[in-house]
Amino acid sequence: MAADGLNLPVKCLNCHSALTTPIVCDGCHSLYPPPPWADHFSLLGLPRTYAIDEKRLNSCFRAIARGVHPDRFVGEPEEVRSLATRLSAELNQAFDVLSDPVRRADYLLEIAGGPSAAEMREVPGDFLADVMMLREEIDQARTTGDDDALRRHSESIAARRQDTLRQIAVLAESAADLDEPRRRVLRKLLNSMKYYDNLLAELAVDPFAASARTTND
Amino acid sequence: MTDDHDIIIGIDLGTTNSLVAYADEAGPHLIAGPAGEDDVLLPSVVAFDDAGRVAQIGSEARAHAVERPATTVYSIKRLMGMGVADLTDDLSRLPYSIERRSQEDGRDVATVMIGDKCYTPPEISAMILRELKMRAERHFGCPVTKAVITVPAQFDDAQRQATRDAGQIAGLDVVRIINEPTAAALAYGLDRTEHATIAVYDLGGGTFDISILRLEDGVFEVLATNGDTHLGGDDFDHTLIDLFTREIREQFGIDITTPSIKQQLRTLSENIKIRLSDRDSAPVEIAIGAGRVYRRSVTRGEFETMIAPLVDRTIEACSRAMKTAKLTPENIQQVVLVGGSTRVPFVRRRVAEVFQRQPYTALNPEQVVALGAGVQASLLAGVQRDILLLDVTPLSLGIETLGGAMGKLIPANTRVPCRASETFTTFKDGQTNVKINVLQGERELVKDCRSLGVFELQGVPPMPAGIPKIDVTFLIDQNGILNVSATERRSAQTASVQIIPSHGLTRDEVKRMQAEALQHAREDMAAHHLIDVRTTLEFDLHKAEQMVERYGQLLDVSGRDALVAEIRGLLELAKQCTDPHVLNERREAFNRMTIPLAELAITASLSSDDGAAGQEPACKIGQETRENNRGGFGQPTLRSVET
Repeated sequence: MAADGLNLPVKCLNCHSALTTPIVCDGCHSLYPPPPWADHFSLLGLPRTYAIDEKRLNSCFRAIARGVHPDRFVGEPEEVRSLATRLSAELNQAFDVLSDPVRRADYLLEIAGGPSAAEMREVPGDFLADVMMLREEIDQARTTGDDDALRRHSESIAARRQDTLRQIAVLAESAADLDEPRRRVLRKLLNSMKYYDNLLAELAVDPFAASARTTND
Repeated sequence: MTDDHDIIIGIDLGTTNSLVAYADEAGPHLIAGPAGEDDVLLPSVVAFDDAGRVAQIGSEARAHAVERPATTVYSIKRLMGMGVADLTDDLSRLPYSIERRSQEDGRDVATVMIGDKCYTPPEISAMILRELKMRAERHFGCPVTKAVITVPAQFDDAQRQATRDAGQIAGLDVVRIINEPTAAALAYGLDRTEHATIAVYDLGGGTFDISILRLEDGVFEVLATNGDTHLGGDDFDHTLIDLFTREIREQFGIDITTPSIKQQLRTLSENIKIRLSDRDSAPVEIAIGAGRVYRRSVTRGEFETMIAPLVDRTIEACSRAMKTAKLTPENIQQVVLVGGSTRVPFVRRRVAEVFQRQPYTALNPEQVVALGAGVQASLLAGVQRDILLLDVTPLSLGIETLGGAMGKLIPANTRVPCRASETFTTFKDGQTNVKINVLQGERELVKDCRSLGVFELQGVPPMPAGIPKIDVTFLIDQNGILNVSATERRSAQTASVQIIPSHGLTRDEVKRMQAEALQHAREDMAAHHLIDVRTTLEFDLHKAEQMVERYGQLLDVSGRDALVAEIRGLLELAKQCTDPHVLNERREAFNRMTIPLAELAITASLSSDDGAAGQEPACKIGQETRENNRGGFGQPTLRSVET
């Protein structure tokens, strides 16, 4: 059951079977503290890539969650139970990050060496001016009760958000090989996402509706 | 994993009723009480005597609520993990006395006062749990020490801790706390292998939860949960109580204040609510003394108008939960109703509207949570391994930051277990401890959230201000309970974390209460044992009396006289003797003495074709002991009129 494209440097110390994740053995249910090299992808037994098969991510998560969940270790000594709790918490966090396209890109940038959102708050070129103009137009449409204009705005913002996400995907896919200036470009694009989300929330449109539609297609 | 013999029971510790269940290969089963296989609901009521000792638990305790309102404790679940400051509404509505427990460390733990004795809510809940534990022990014929206990999904850390403490005081190792709607889904979904998204609408006596779950590959994953820990069927009753109280005041200028009348009004209102579930109106007649009678009739429409704002709150929570789960009604394949209050037709109608489908009610809404707890217990005991529950934390966890703001560390609806880390430092040179106020809630300001307690990090190495870096990890485990650990980064020392819970008990208090409860339980058990032995002896004596009456002529005169004398003597002894061993020995000796008569009686009954002769007295005794004198409530009397 070796994960394709991924050679894990460890085998189970107990039963010597190959591990799909460094934290639990499928065969004998032994638990291991995560090794220092383990990232979110390896915890879930997945290769470190931006493009991710959502179905596979979900099924890997469920399979590993079954193996490490503390409910499995009720009769075991306290240290085993607390390790299970800790591993479950780490697995849950890894899954949350990887299942969100924006957080996944952010995470790839982080393990490639950043910069982080705290280190660099800038957004692309004229973006802020654009947002301010959009805000004014939205306010105006709202005062005049122009529902059509509001709908057009939310559609165009959702489309721009999708477009930005596509640019993010391209950069994030090769995050590890990006030079410093291009990592900064990725950072700026990522920073702009929360502006789109805020605008869409203000327009009372679920920011997830757009991405939900695309995954159903 | 666990021993094959390790029994784990599942307990639904409810506001109104509690139940105990287990599951085997055939599925989940409820464990009944002594009154027969339908006796599965144990009313969550504890009655005390004037000295503050436990007198009754369950139905018998509930029967006394009207006569003895100040010493009959119900709805204790509303007080779990609460401070007096949290309870303004309940304080005026509950007829027993609730006080703030005085603590030098500033904790506010609501405490029930019975005479000069005080009991914390976990202690009273423990009495109910111990009764359920005994039912299970009678069922299995062996000690039971492990349990899964359910709590409303919206319970915060303090309420969960209090529930776990109650288990410990009752002598139960609470191996898991699970959320009630999740348990219900487990009870429903066990045979289902298909993938589905279900909504569980759980409206109980005192709490409301809505949870949306996805079932896939045997994994029950909670996508979102929402609700209100102080909203339930009790509040429906209060709308009627408030209406009657107001109208009586307007018509007769009388204020209803006495606890026993309040309690009668409560019972009456509950009955009217239940009646309006299948009728269009319910007439009410309340004699308020001096020949004056308050009369009116409540229509279903009126009742629905009164409870509409309450039901609206539940419907809004449903919409919020769908939004959190990023779902619309058409993505949800099934809606399940849980809790006695979902029997109200108006509730069903509103739920059907918001989810755009008829709710599913195959299982009894009052039993489904306990059945699910039984299933989870069997999963943990290793009876089954193919199902896994993935639940979420209902509330955001945060810490107090400068300026009284709540700094969120873990947002609501995060899958548990989960953890977050934060680095703290010192403000003064040489400072060796740091205090952190830990909060739960969705509001921005500290004062609008609930403080779980002050966590004091001790043993920080003395360094100049701002130099120590203390990494604090907040971990919410699978039970939804917070665990905090801390390490100083420079010295790699583990700082110890001293917790002062805002509304909870310390570990030492729980241990002391457990020891006390065990002592009381031993005394109670001895008392119960004596009653059992006495009843058995009296039963045998009455049976023998009947036999002598019927077949005595078959014995010679001296033999018959000896038997009659022995019966009379033993009846007297049964009343006076308090040593169960003596009573048992005398009973056995007596039964040997009656063997000749019994043999004669059998022969005679066979020849006269009168086989059922000896069986009648059993019913008679049973009836005598069961008949309670329930009159004498005093004026005014209340009743709802049969139509």
